[in-house]
Amino acid sequence: MGKYFTFVGLGLVLALALLLAVVAGDYGPWYFAWMVGTVMIVLIAGCGAVLFDAQHEKGEGEI
Amino acid sequence: MPLIDPSVVDLSRLQFALTALYHFIFVPLTLGMTFLLAAMETVYVITGKQIYKDMTQFWGKLFGINFAIGVATGLTMEFEFGTNWSMYSHFVGDVFGTPLAIEGLMAFFMESTFIGLMFFGWDRLSKPGHLAVTYLTALGSNLSALWILIANGFMQNPRGASFNPDTMRMEFNSFLKLVFSEDAQAKFVHTSIAGFVTGALFVMGISAFYILRRQHREFAARSFRMAALFGVISSLAVVTLGDALGRLDYLVQPTKIAAIEGLWQDSDAGGSAAAAPWLLFALPDQAAQTNLVEFGIPYVLDPLVAHSFSTNIPGLISLEKQAGPRIKKGIAALNALQAYGKDHGAAALATFKANESDMGYGFLAQRYAPNQDLSKITPANQDAVVAQAEKDTIPNVFVTFWSFRIMMILGFYFVGLFAFAAFFSLKNRLERNPLLLKLCVWSIPLPVLACEFGWITAEAGRQPWSVYRWLPTFQAASSHSVGYMVFSLIGFALLYSVFIAAELYLMFKFARLGPQPHQAAAPEAAPAPMFAAPAE
Repeated sequence: MGKYFTFVGLGLVLALALLLAVVAGDYGPWYFAWMVGTVMIVLIAGCGAVLFDAQHEKGEGEI
Repeated sequence: MPLIDPSVVDLSRLQFALTALYHFIFVPLTLGMTFLLAAMETVYVITGKQIYKDMTQFWGKLFGINFAIGVATGLTMEFEFGTNWSMYSHFVGDVFGTPLAIEGLMAFFMESTFIGLMFFGWDRLSKPGHLAVTYLTALGSNLSALWILIANGFMQNPRGASFNPDTMRMEFNSFLKLVFSEDAQAKFVHTSIAGFVTGALFVMGISAFYILRRQHREFAARSFRMAALFGVISSLAVVTLGDALGRLDYLVQPTKIAAIEGLWQDSDAGGSAAAAPWLLFALPDQAAQTNLVEFGIPYVLDPLVAHSFSTNIPGLISLEKQAGPRIKKGIAALNALQAYGKDHGAAALATFKANESDMGYGFLAQRYAPNQDLSKITPANQDAVVAQAEKDTIPNVFVTFWSFRIMMILGFYFVGLFAFAAFFSLKNRLERNPLLLKLCVWSIPLPVLACEFGWITAEAGRQPWSVYRWLPTFQAASSHSVGYMVFSLIGFALLYSVFIAAELYLMFKFARLGPQPHQAAAPEAAPAPMFAAPAE
């Protein structure tokens, strides 16, 4: 039951995100670009940290 | 309406510029650091590694110092609109006050509430709960900037309001037009991302300092990596968005773009618009309406500004001449408005409506009218008045030209610096490049400088208007005495200098201390990843 609610909840978030994307894309393209771009910047910075850990777990001691 | 003492106007401008520039030392770091903290905490929540929590807490502490002082310096500015710019507040208060109120009620309270939870909620909230709070703090701080820049977007390119001759002020007719104004959008994204660059270089620079001193090595290397990647994309985005904003200015504020480019003559004056040079260096002479010295790169101006190879970009001299007929219409509008104020007659209203869009230009003529009374302008003296007022339609070219150049050069420098930093970090070769690390340390203040010059470009380039083509700056100020203005200016300068000294002292102190020993502990023995595979 919990998984069902999670699924429905995430589905609603997805629908809201799509609606926001359509509205923002039409009326506020720069706002939309900021939302997408900021998420991308945060994720890429996070990926860099994870990559750092992976490199150093392989024994690359130098920084 | 009598004109306000020009000294009072200049002092009001100086005071606002001073408080805004002081305030903007702190703002970009807040805008950028919050999302960088969110990135660090996201890695902590996903991997469960203690070092990322230490990073979030340590950089969060430096962010907190900056945030507290930034708020203190920002509060006074909203009051300045009422105290020093009362005519402005009357004229556009209906429009301008709304985004400011939303900023105060929604964004600022949201930011302040969640920042408290962010600092004091580590042991009280779940990991995902705390992460959500950090993201909401980041969103709140950027939403604060959004509403301020929506208000500023209205000053640059008024949208969503019209002038009501009965109340003598601008009134709302479309909230959506105000919020989705292209100027507000582009300005917000450019400013916010410039904050990201500032935050990234702050973290990268201090991390480089630790790496050079072989302190907190693991902590600093991870921080550097994250900040370098955060910064390389942000700096590329900020340059791209700067181009978009320039294109928008070309369409809606041609005098600003001509001043930015030091363009006195039309771009096709040399025979071909496409061949017009983009000036790398110039010494503009406002009085002589020429550049004393200049050199540039041919075939760059047109594609850069107009995104075309065949569009003529009007120069300042042409734009000045184009203002002449608008000033005449503006005089007619204001005279009709004055008549309408007395008798509410349909004829006066019709005349006003026919010339309404140029009303602001009429204000420019008031300075040069006999006894500063527009009704005393006659066909005999009108041309002389207009010729003088035309010159006021051009912003200070030297200031606009050079503030833009400094901002732009720094923007490209950041792209290069972050690109090298990200490359050597990804290759794990940072320690072999002490010069790059030193450059990162010394570059920490440069994004703030770039932001300041960006603000000067935007605001100096908008002159002579406080609300573009509607209200000149000299008409917008309050009628204080010079003594009052000097006294308050000195007070602000002293107070804000103390704030900056406090910020620098605390920043240096805590940055030198580095992460506390308990924060720099080894990774947890048994990390509990948020998305760990279920036990068999």
